Amino acid sequence: MRGNRHVAIWLGCVVLMGGSVAACGSDDGGGGGSGGGGTQGTGSTSGAKVIDPASMDSAKGEVTYCTGKDTSGAQKESVKLFNEANKSKGLSAKLLEFPESADEQRNQFVQRQEAKSGECDIFYSDVIWTAEFASQDWLYDMTPYTESRKAEFIPATFDTVNYEGKTWGVPKQSDAAFLYYRTDQVDSPPTTWQEVYDIAAQNDGIVYQGAAYEGLTCDFLEIAFAAGGKVLSDDGKTAEFDSPENLKALQFMVDGINDGAAKKSVTTYMEEQARRAFEAGRATFERNWPYAYAIGKDNKDAPEFEVMPFPDFEGGGKAGILGGHNIVISAFSKNPGGALALTDFLTSEEAITRDAADYSLAPVLESVYDDPAVQKAMPFAAELKQAIAQAKSRPVSPVYTQISQAIYKNVNAALSGQSSPEEALKTGQSEMEKALATF
Amino acid sequence: MVSPSLVLIALVALYPIIYAVWLSLHQYSLIEAGLTRWAEPSSPFGNYTEALWGADSSQFWTATRITFTFTIVSVFFELVIGLAMAMAMHAAFKGQGILRTVILVPWAVLTVVTAITWQTIFEPELGFVNTMLGAVGLPSNTVWLGEEPQALIVMIIADVWKTAPFMALLILAGLQVIPGEIYEAGKVDGASAWQRFQKLTLPLLMPAILVALIFRTLDALRIFDLPWVLTKGAHGTETLSLISYQTFQQNRLVGEGSALAVLTFVIVMAVSFLYIRFIGGNLRTMAEE
Amino acid sequence: MEAASVPATVERAGTKAKQRRSTGQGTPWWLWVAVFAIVVFCLFPFYWLLNTSLKTGPDLSTSALLPPSPTLDNYQSIFNDSNFTTALKNSAIVALVTTALSLIVGSFCAYALARLRMRRKFLILAIVLSISTFPQIAIAAPIFKLWRDVGLYDTIPGLVIPYLTFALPLTIYILTSFFKEIPRDLEEAALVDGATNFEAFRKVVVPLAAPGLATAGILTFIAAWNEFLLAITLTSSTSARTVPAAIAFFTGSTQFEQPLGTISAASVVISIPLILLVLFFQKRIVAGLTAGAVKG
Repeated sequence: MRGNRHVAIWLGCVVLMGGSVAACGSDDGGGGGSGGGGTQGTGSTSGAKVIDPASMDSAKGEVTYCTGKDTSGAQKESVKLFNEANKSKGLSAKLLEFPESADEQRNQFVQRQEAKSGECDIFYSDVIWTAEFASQDWLYDMTPYTESRKAEFIPATFDTVNYEGKTWGVPKQSDAAFLYYRTDQVDSPPTTWQEVYDIAAQNDGIVYQGAAYEGLTCDFLEIAFAAGGKVLSDDGKTAEFDSPENLKALQFMVDGINDGAAKKSVTTYMEEQARRAFEAGRATFERNWPYAYAIGKDNKDAPEFEVMPFPDFEGGGKAGILGGHNIVISAFSKNPGGALALTDFLTSEEAITRDAADYSLAPVLESVYDDPAVQKAMPFAAELKQAIAQAKSRPVSPVYTQISQAIYKNVNAALSGQSSPEEALKTGQSEMEKALATF
Repeated sequence: MVSPSLVLIALVALYPIIYAVWLSLHQYSLIEAGLTRWAEPSSPFGNYTEALWGADSSQFWTATRITFTFTIVSVFFELVIGLAMAMAMHAAFKGQGILRTVILVPWAVLTVVTAITWQTIFEPELGFVNTMLGAVGLPSNTVWLGEEPQALIVMIIADVWKTAPFMALLILAGLQVIPGEIYEAGKVDGASAWQRFQKLTLPLLMPAILVALIFRTLDALRIFDLPWVLTKGAHGTETLSLISYQTFQQNRLVGEGSALAVLTFVIVMAVSFLYIRFIGGNLRTMAEE
Repeated sequence: MEAASVPATVERAGTKAKQRRSTGQGTPWWLWVAVFAIVVFCLFPFYWLLNTSLKTGPDLSTSALLPPSPTLDNYQSIFNDSNFTTALKNSAIVALVTTALSLIVGSFCAYALARLRMRRKFLILAIVLSISTFPQIAIAAPIFKLWRDVGLYDTIPGLVIPYLTFALPLTIYILTSFFKEIPRDLEEAALVDGATNFEAFRKVVVPLAAPGLATAGILTFIAAWNEFLLAITLTSSTSARTVPAAIAFFTGSTQFEQPLGTISAASVVISIPLILLVLFFQKRIVAGLTAGAVKG
């Protein structure tokens, strides 16, 4: 019957396809394997491509600059100026924007690198991803280029591009958080975290990012580092998370919630919720990034406030953690010379000054903070410089996402009372050890 | 004419599945970047044994428990509320068209947007729910999305809101086909409204109910958007799809992540086969044709 | 309930309902309460969305039931954004093409399956349905790779083809049970009258199955319109990006700001075509789902 033949053909094709596709599937994987095998060796990054500083002099062609959504407009402006300056050389840049969310940006870049696509020549990478990308042989080794420029950058920002003794990107933008405080409730900036929490308990409390996500890793480490704690050993190979100093820090935060210095609801807060709560007058202190400064000042209903870098932790010191972005060059770029030229342009003193003065993006070059135009655009420039100077980078490791997860899941569990601080640290420690064991 | 298009579809549908299964038999090594190697030459199913009864297997079993709890509770409520809505829609005849459209509004809104909206409604300080509770004098400071099991409850409420209408519509269709004479006969026999419902309506509605159940259950078992936006899986809302996303995409352990995805798929298939046994009657008659 | 064909059954039920109406039974009060409860339940969160879309700036932090100073700024800004309007166009094209193809190809397959004598048919149908339920996250990356190699990345066909992989099984499932309800005698009568197989299919079967086609069409359209994961993975520019993916690009003035106002406005805007579609086809939906769900 006609119908029978019909379906028989259909079924037959499906089966055939299944079979041949399986073969394709394994070829693909095999192909990927041999590709990876080429760059295998002792240590995960030996054999990576090294950038040749001279290549940028004769560069031409097009370079694609992949970045998250350019909310401030700074990247578009830079690309425009780059194109104007290089028209005669036949070199041009193109901006490719990814969605705003950090997770999505990472996904988009990772996707392309896994497919070995050269679509992104350079990428505006969050500082926490650089080690991971480097370990996957997705980036160019930039050491020859950065050697000569190292001294210009704020040292802490340079830590974020270091992995296995080489540099894998160039810092472009930094970020460090402050403590915002209401001037009507706080007479003078407190000198220790303990004092902050005391004042908070007597007034409207402190809000910070306590939800189970990357933001909590930042908030926790700011206090833990100040208390003298660590996450990984200096060589990055063992976890030192379960330590008395970290316990002190975590206990301090948990007590803060129990005593009412911090509201219970902080365990669901991200940056925006904290900002909104502070601006609505429902908190005395807020821990947040500099972006909230301008918005808060523009909001007429917000209480009067100022900012301060983080204070000492009693028995410890000052700390903070570094946010920001680096420019990295994709190992699959078809125009490394052009990519380097664009990187050089984007991280030049001019570009960074312009970003700071016109778009309030925190500079990575020491000298820029003293520029009067910058100080005018960012009234908190001095506090920011101090905050960045006392900041440390988050653990530099190829398995950073898993380490961060171990931190934020467990700290959040402790903060919401679902586990004790001791248990939380122990669990976090074992999760980190498991992640590091994949090396 | 049809075969080429079907071949293309089969290729596109089967290729990723086969690739994912193939990946799940490997372990992704971060040190040998890009190179995948077999998980223990003696047991290519290493990822599966790890997930099912390895050292960290509690993650998989917790997620399974949470997923099934969520599925059973939310499908149950969707059924009950959907049934009630369908009965009301069936009886009300003025403005029936408008009512039906209103009912479909929740279903037409993007899942991610639904999640954000419910998150705002349940916000601890300024959210609508806590404000209303406070106004009535009830405790108004529960941190809904920050505690177990409250977070799961919010997730269930959001899901029920979004899909009860879908169930209602499927059941309404079933109601429309039941001939009125049966009710007349029932009334003549002196049966009460409740008895008529129980003995006449429900049995005749079973096929429609079963179809609605299977579609909803399959979707509920794979839910991802809702927990991801509401809590990112914290506080007792980790579902199977969420842990496989975290493993696969965030931690880039593509082997283990694929294994989790395949396990999820197997569970979903098992449940759907169980259901099909029940609706087997319907399909078997088609097969016998 | 055997030989009676579906449309006739539905007609009879409709007539009965009309008769009930005309016997003067008023709607009892409890029914109005139930209807009111349903409307509030369904519309409240959507009202909240609408509410938020009319607020800007600091107003967004309040939980007022009515916007303190309602403004159409959000709507204005999304329509001024050419990315959004292009995304609307892309969504419309992708959803329409997916639906049309799925209906055409699906109806042929369903017809073949419904009319075939085959063992294990229900097994095949079950497998076909199950394939579309494989967790999407594991599917996105392989398709991305494949599309880049083949050149279909960031194109409309590049989206339509994967969408068909979940639209087709659903369409086939619904339409198969529909076609099965239609008695063969009608086609055989047409064949006897001298029509070809295809003409019999086109002129007899398709009109009778119109409700089923409408149902499958609407379900497919809504699924394709709202799909997010593949849309964001397989597009990288406005040439093919659809609205759900475009919303992910909405931005406040910094990386951390969540532009609730514009997201809400965009959500309201993209729900409107769906609501209109449903309003128009809702009578058909009911009749359509009937035949698929209930055993003849």
